[in-house]
Amino acid sequence: MYKWFLAVRYLHTKLIAFFGVAAVTLCVAMVLVVISVMGGFLDTIRARARGLHSEIVLDAGTQQGFPLYDEFSRYLAKHLPDVVRLSTPVIYTYGIFRVPADETTKPVRAMGIRPKEYVQLNDFAKGLQYDHYYPGSTHMGPQQMPLAGFSESGGLRLPPDLEAAHEAWRKQQDPEALAEFDAVPFVYAPYPFETSSSYGQRVFAANAGPPGYVDAELPGLIVGCDLLFHRRPDGKFNRYLARGAMVTLTVLALSPSGNPLGEPPVRLPFRYADDSRTGIFEIDSLTAYVDFDLLQAKLAMDAQTLVDGGVIKPRVNQLLIGLQKGVNLDAGRDQIAVAWADFRKSIASELTKDEQLALNHVEVLTWEDLQRTFIAAVEKEKVLVTFLFALISVVAIVLVGCIFYMIVEKKTKDIGILKSLGASANGVASLFILYAAVVGVVGAILGTVIGSLFVWNINAIQDYLAGLNPALRIWSAEVYSFDRIPEDVKRADVIWIGSAAILSSMVGSLIPSAIAGRIWPVRALRYE
Amino acid sequence: MNKLYHARGLHKSYVMGHETVRVLRGATLHVEKGEFLAIMGASGSGKSTLLHILGALDVPDRGTLEFNGQNVLNWSERERRAFRNRQVGFVFQFYHLLPELNLLENVMIAKMVGHSGWQWRFRRHEIRREAEAIVGRIGLTDRAKHRPNELSGGERQRVAIARALINRPTLLLADEPTGNLDEAIGADILKLLVELNEAGQTIVMVTHDTRVASHAHRCVQLSEGVLHEAEQPAGRRGSVPILTKKVAP
Repeated sequence: MYKWFLAVRYLHTKLIAFFGVAAVTLCVAMVLVVISVMGGFLDTIRARARGLHSEIVLDAGTQQGFPLYDEFSRYLAKHLPDVVRLSTPVIYTYGIFRVPADETTKPVRAMGIRPKEYVQLNDFAKGLQYDHYYPGSTHMGPQQMPLAGFSESGGLRLPPDLEAAHEAWRKQQDPEALAEFDAVPFVYAPYPFETSSSYGQRVFAANAGPPGYVDAELPGLIVGCDLLFHRRPDGKFNRYLARGAMVTLTVLALSPSGNPLGEPPVRLPFRYADDSRTGIFEIDSLTAYVDFDLLQAKLAMDAQTLVDGGVIKPRVNQLLIGLQKGVNLDAGRDQIAVAWADFRKSIASELTKDEQLALNHVEVLTWEDLQRTFIAAVEKEKVLVTFLFALISVVAIVLVGCIFYMIVEKKTKDIGILKSLGASANGVASLFILYAAVVGVVGAILGTVIGSLFVWNINAIQDYLAGLNPALRIWSAEVYSFDRIPEDVKRADVIWIGSAAILSSMVGSLIPSAIAGRIWPVRALRYE
Repeated sequence: MNKLYHARGLHKSYVMGHETVRVLRGATLHVEKGEFLAIMGASGSGKSTLLHILGALDVPDRGTLEFNGQNVLNWSERERRAFRNRQVGFVFQFYHLLPELNLLENVMIAKMVGHSGWQWRFRRHEIRREAEAIVGRIGLTDRAKHRPNELSGGERQRVAIARALINRPTLLLADEPTGNLDEAIGADILKLLVELNEAGQTIVMVTHDTRVASHAHRCVQLSEGVLHEAEQPAGRRGSVPILTKKVAP
């Protein structure tokens, strides 16, 4: 009984125990902050990566793509209706993106999508900037440039359909969001210029006439926001290009066998319809989204009739497949892989050599498989950082060991007294181990409180520090994919870190405790 | 005679640096039940060593120790611990109280050592009452919540005596109990020991002070590692009281 009693009581009065508790507290807080931030980082990356794709992707594995995607899509609908919810083809190719207004050129990955299907499979719609404030206004069909102008009432207004869409948005917002919007509704580019002299979150061309639409109809293009605009440290973008401004894509068509078709690269004009933010910088800085049918045709990936009367089947680079609710991801992938193998067998006799080769490269992947390299890199980073901090925490074990050695030295007389009262060597040793456990428990609790408070307020702390000196901003939204540092503390992390801290304290005290247990009572009683 | 403890031919030596110091060289001693025995000797003569051996805190190099007819040196470590906890109570010159505990807790700690957490759960109220009774007997009820650093030397020694008595030991071993106290307070402590002895408590006290030793029934002198019957200093001479009932603290 005396062991528990003294273990708790020693904590009350010993200054030296404070150092033990402080060491454990700091280590727990440190590891908790690192794990929480890195874990939050990883979770956000995973959520964003998940939002990029459908659950299952039938990937061509080649640039020239694979045929028979529509047939397989129908095959899935017929044979796996309980597994497959929806499928949609995607084309991607690489080219050059150009903004004629300021002659910016960038390398780009152009993705051909069917927007109505595509947005049902992932979070693409959530990341559209203009579609957020003017719901339903973003599309990839032919469109002119919207032009703000002066209405009869005298204010600078957008075309009526955009104003109506915006009014619909306003009805669903809280006063805070409305106030934020109204503070800076949009900046304007003085038409016929398509760029604004100042940056804004929304940019429209404007002139002194009435609002409306101007210039030639061109298909719409949605651009990854990092591709076109610079990201500020606060996570917002310096938009300068008017919505609807002309941009161009230059792409190279490939034959079914992967050779250039021998024609000059295709230069395609578009209107900048919106910009998209998936949250993954590597995607947002490289991707432009255009209409699937248009891109397929321009890349000569649509059905082609040969001179000899033969037909080259249309090709795509991916078939995105959404699973029915409740279907396990890996099980869904396996079922679709089996279906794919069966489908191939059923059409094997009809395939040309090029088609067979193209289908040989096709893989059935989950979104996790597709992003494995990316996610694995972040996972490894988390493990590495955790390991490094855990290594630092080993210092805490040694520190606890040193502190307990000093405590044992200081309490030598107590050990003599206890032994003179009949306490055993094991009892005395376990008293100090329990004392270490109590130090560990208190340190773990305090560390959890401090670490959690730090994580929960990490962005506020950073904002405060950045207010004092901008160089103190550690997490720059300019660099990372997210505006804010992850602020979640997971209960499981708290439990394992706390348990490890208590165990570490006990391990740290083992040697001093063993020494305490072996102290000869007569020596202890004479100790000065 | 009612023999409680019989030590024969005790030898004990310590290695200090390169030198071996022979502290006990065949010391022989017997203690009667209910006796108040004083062991006298100069500083460094081995009095405390002898007391520690009697209390099973230390073991002699040679010799025999019989307590109530049992050979102490044949006991296992577990039996020696039980002996220290239940049969013996130690009172030290420097009190040796635990500074983190208050007066009452310092008294109860001896009971805690002898009880598991489970046993304590069922007996704690009873033990607390016992401790409060002993604290009352040493006249420190109103200071029960005070810590040792808030007590005077005499009060601390009273607490040490109370702690030694709470397990109702057969033998109280006091090592220079007044050595750290001024004369008046030392006399007070001795008075308490005499009272306890008169109530039947067997006491072996180590001292170098003849005035302190005069309160004992019998006095032995430790000199050059050997014990001699010494002439009882003037004071409390008398025959050893016959123990007729269980010693109650």
